[in-house]
Amino acid sequence: MTPVEWAIVALALLGAFFGAVAAIGIIRMPDIYTRAHAASKSDTLGAVLTIAAVALALESSLSTVKAVFLVIFMFLTNPTAAHAIARAAEDQGIEPWTTEDEQ
Amino acid sequence: MTTSDAFRLLVPVADSVTVRNTVAYAVDVATEAAADRPVELHVVDVASTRAVDPDAPAELAAASDLLDRVEAWVDEDTGGERPSNLSLVTEVLGADQYLFSPGDYADVLLSYADEQAIDRIVLDPEYSPGGAGPMLRPLTIELARGDVAIEEAPVERRTERTVLTRAASLPKYLAVFGASYLFYMLLSAWKPIDVFTGFLTATLVAVLLAPVAFSDQPSFTRVAKQTVRMAIYTPYLFKEIAVANLQIAYVVLHPDLPIDPEVVELKAAVWGDTAVTTLANSITLTPGTLTVSVTDRAFAIHSLTAGSRADLFDGGLERAVRFVFYGREAAAIATPRERGDDGGHSDG
Repeated sequence: MTPVEWAIVALALLGAFFGAVAAIGIIRMPDIYTRAHAASKSDTLGAVLTIAAVALALESSLSTVKAVFLVIFMFLTNPTAAHAIARAAEDQGIEPWTTEDEQ
Repeated sequence: MTTSDAFRLLVPVADSVTVRNTVAYAVDVATEAAADRPVELHVVDVASTRAVDPDAPAELAAASDLLDRVEAWVDEDTGGERPSNLSLVTEVLGADQYLFSPGDYADVLLSYADEQAIDRIVLDPEYSPGGAGPMLRPLTIELARGDVAIEEAPVERRTERTVLTRAASLPKYLAVFGASYLFYMLLSAWKPIDVFTGFLTATLVAVLLAPVAFSDQPSFTRVAKQTVRMAIYTPYLFKEIAVANLQIAYVVLHPDLPIDPEVVELKAAVWGDTAVTTLANSITLTPGTLTVSVTDRAFAIHSLTAGSRADLFDGGLERAVRFVFYGREAAAIATPRERGDDGGHSDG
């Protein structure tokens, strides 16, 4: 395998790892805010790493450029979506979970 | 008791910037009419939640509080001496049903108007019960179903929204044209036909969108400087994001789930919509912090662990965003902890 292929595999695996972390986080976290942490951060990085692997794998320069645009938009929209969810939760008066809630 | 020849005025109220002046206007109309016949001034608050709801007590209390204030205002406007043939009726309506659309509110108001033989409805221009969006136009249309005269109180309306469209200038057209042309060409295959269609598309986009594209005049030097500084900021942000993810991965996969979440306040020393948005998004992307709401400069931030709070108040991100938007001098402002803008969380 060439170094580029190694890089593609590494990026895809890392992306899958962070995607899995996001999924596990959403299940394990206690409330909507903490879940939004897992969803916004791990998910963004997971998707971005996977798209980066795609950008490397597609050798045509045009598709690579498009993949880079996808990464940029992902970075702009994912935190915005997480913020919108957290804000909606706050507007609904949902109290954040604290360690004191743990019995 | 209602007498048949009385003039009856209905004023629906809700908390708004113009409610005080609307009541003043209604009192004026009522006092004038009271010169030659009895007048009933009906002031009603339409509740949007049913009385059986858990949050209804708070809303109903707010409603009766507002109606108490209205009574005080009416006394104030009549100089403490209410004309003897001017009677004031205050009432909370709609506490027995759910109300959603302007049509629902109109139904409640019209059935009350019917019951009480109301002659005229005076509307507050900023009337929006339940905190929903602007209600006046749709409500006026719905109320037209009934046979009651409707009038919008002629009060000074404060413009609260900033205008979306601003005068477009040549630099704006050029900037939008250039950006969309570049974007089009990057996504296309650089065939001659693409150069042509790209030109057409970019022209169309520039003509349509230049008036809404910038909040201030684009200046080439400023944009160039910010782009260069953004290019310096991006690797830093990437590093922070990588660290954030390793921490989250550690916390998520740790058997004990070692989290200690808390919502903290940060008064960030950044100004301007773009800078505040950039900081809010950066905070959401980095270690254990999530921007919940932003009011002007006050950020409410949900933090996952004590360590993430400490990082936040060390102000690295805030400093970096200041650097991107205002340059190196602004970056040197003290950290939130040193400024005391950390909502008393100096222990970290």
